[in-house]
Amino acid sequence: MNLAKALIVARREYRVNFRSPGFLFMAFAFPLIILGIMFFITQFIIERETSTDDFQKVGYVDNADIVQPGVETPEGYFALDVPEVEAVPYIEQQLKDGVADAIFVIDANYTLTGQVDVYSQKNVTEALKEDIDRFLSDHLVAQADDLQVPAERLVEPMDVVFRTLDTDERQSEAALIGRFLLPTIFVFVFFIATSTTSQFMMGGVVEEKENRLMEILASSVRPLELLVGKLLGLSGLAFTQIAFWVLTGAVIALTTEQGRDFFSGAEFQTSDILLMIVLFVLDFVLMSAIMLGVGAAVTAEAESRQAGGFIGLIAVLPIAANALFFTNPNGPIPVILSFFPMTSPVAIIMRIGLTSVPTWQIAVSMVILIASTVGVLWLAAVVFRLGMLMYGKVLTPKLLWQSLRENQNTPVMTPLSE
Amino acid sequence: MTTNNSNSSVADHAIFVQAITKRFGNFTAVDHVNFEVNRGEIFSLLGPNGAGKTTIIRMILDILRPDDGQIQVLGGALTDATKDRIGYLPEERGLYKNVKVLEMLIYLGQLKGMSTHDVRVRALDLLERFGLSDNTKSKISQLSKGMQQKVQTIATILHKPDLLIIDEPFSGLDPVNTQLIQDLLYEMKAEGVTIVMSTHQMHQVEEMADRLLMINKGQRVLYGPVKEVRQTYAQNAVIVEGEGNWTTVPGVKEVLAGRNGHEAKLMLAPGFTPDDVMQILASRKDYAVRRFELAVPSLNEIFIQVVGGNGSRAEARYNDVRAAD
Repeated sequence: MNLAKALIVARREYRVNFRSPGFLFMAFAFPLIILGIMFFITQFIIERETSTDDFQKVGYVDNADIVQPGVETPEGYFALDVPEVEAVPYIEQQLKDGVADAIFVIDANYTLTGQVDVYSQKNVTEALKEDIDRFLSDHLVAQADDLQVPAERLVEPMDVVFRTLDTDERQSEAALIGRFLLPTIFVFVFFIATSTTSQFMMGGVVEEKENRLMEILASSVRPLELLVGKLLGLSGLAFTQIAFWVLTGAVIALTTEQGRDFFSGAEFQTSDILLMIVLFVLDFVLMSAIMLGVGAAVTAEAESRQAGGFIGLIAVLPIAANALFFTNPNGPIPVILSFFPMTSPVAIIMRIGLTSVPTWQIAVSMVILIASTVGVLWLAAVVFRLGMLMYGKVLTPKLLWQSLRENQNTPVMTPLSE
Repeated sequence: MTTNNSNSSVADHAIFVQAITKRFGNFTAVDHVNFEVNRGEIFSLLGPNGAGKTTIIRMILDILRPDDGQIQVLGGALTDATKDRIGYLPEERGLYKNVKVLEMLIYLGQLKGMSTHDVRVRALDLLERFGLSDNTKSKISQLSKGMQQKVQTIATILHKPDLLIIDEPFSGLDPVNTQLIQDLLYEMKAEGVTIVMSTHQMHQVEEMADRLLMINKGQRVLYGPVKEVRQTYAQNAVIVEGEGNWTTVPGVKEVLAGRNGHEAKLMLAPGFTPDDVMQILASRKDYAVRRFELAVPSLNEIFIQVVGGNGSRAEARYNDVRAAD
């Protein structure tokens, strides 16, 4: 393969599609739409955060001995005696029994570390956090001299850690939101980037067929060079699109307080991010190869759109079935969609945001996805080679099969009238 | 036949095709075809629709692979470097509709191995020559059909090919642009470029081509220098135009009406040659001859005769005559 020629094709595909109205809309208008969605979500969260209605009874465990009898305590706050052994199960039981809506434990080394563990069955709101903050401040100030409280403790009374009852996983409040929302946003971005660029791929091939350009191109470049060039060029376009969105997100995150709060919740592991990138690349190649094959097999743009729409419909299944993912991310449908190659990247990422996906499932999904991508790429190359000169004739699956059985280089029908 | 010229090597030929066969399923599109194209000649590929011409061209360009046989181009097997020395204008040709003329030419030139600078300079030069210098920034879709055809021609010769393969180069062109392309082809031939031209316009072949290959139903039916092919089909007859009673001319067996109502076709009796008849007419005062020529059929007539009749018999006849020579 002549890589230099493939790169010429790649450069052209990138430049021409970059300037197309479709790409410009997706690249620039889409972040604004996302921004709008985030704004509404943030507003919704703020609305919830300003309320302490769900926390009428708040127990506290004072292991640092800082609570002073003379200091005014907010209504509903009460001291809780907790046994030294099996303290956490005891606290959980109290919450389950409804003795308290939230219990916070002031660590024995609190004055040095500021550590306060907040337990609750509900999401702890910003308003409750502020109330606890104020409670601790008041008590610290009242005996600052006696306890020799470090100045930083007076400025920043607590380093709060929230604990959920189900898993006892330490999760910051922002992380709870982030883990839920960011994968959803990521999936959306991921899906749009993959589907738009693969549509460009199909559109380009159909255009070259419709405009009778294929034969001119085929006299200069080999089908494989053309195919690789298109894949490289449009991959670059997809990454440009995503890079722009990530940059937009980063700017929002760094320039607004709400944005910072929102994005600070993204406590993804490095392995999660790596997995997402690998899934994205594989999904992009798979979808592009499918679209390329469809573009080479059909005769007109209208036909390609129908086929592309159907493929897009399959790929969007996990998003359409999001309710099933939210209610039971390890249920049969989410698991099946995690194994089906056209839906697995989106399904896996959605589940990562919602639950702990078993490693074996990720491994099986990856193996199926890689095998399918390689297989589809090979088939797309064959279809491309067979179908590219069949002007006005559809390369049907039957014809493809017959051609494959006889000779991979030639369709079983005359490609073009003499 | 001239297929295997023992005195010439493969390297002497721009194209060397030996016994190529191409099948699509059960249909044999090209059946054991042999031919050679000499360097620097204009070679015409003829045949009715569906004869196998485009398939042969595609096999030469390695777009399709022959099932059997051997093809060598510009002295060897087709490589990427060889591809860059070939200009190809297919019959089914097109351009990117929403791309500017110069941008598209630069892309196609780059694919032929040219640098961006070189292709830009060359493209601007050719656009000016073809009267399209005001359209360098126009989108292809804004051009007329004739202008698009000129852009396609420019794209084909942009990289100064050594071998030009053109399918119906004059279709859709007005007489002025036909002349423009014709002059260009002559100019390229003079520079040593080999030109393979597939066309249905027989008068262009008669006028321009040095040699021809006619294909019918995938098989070679005629092959050789254009003049020789026409001579082979010449009858023992002359075309005359003038005054006199042609039936009484000694050696004339039959007089047929000519094509335009003024001329007559004199069929000669065995033993008489056109020279004999010309001498007789020149010596007689009762005949005034304004035109006298051999009754050589046009390629169009030969085409109809060969394609409409028995192709293999036609080549056998051609071969017999050549063997006798």
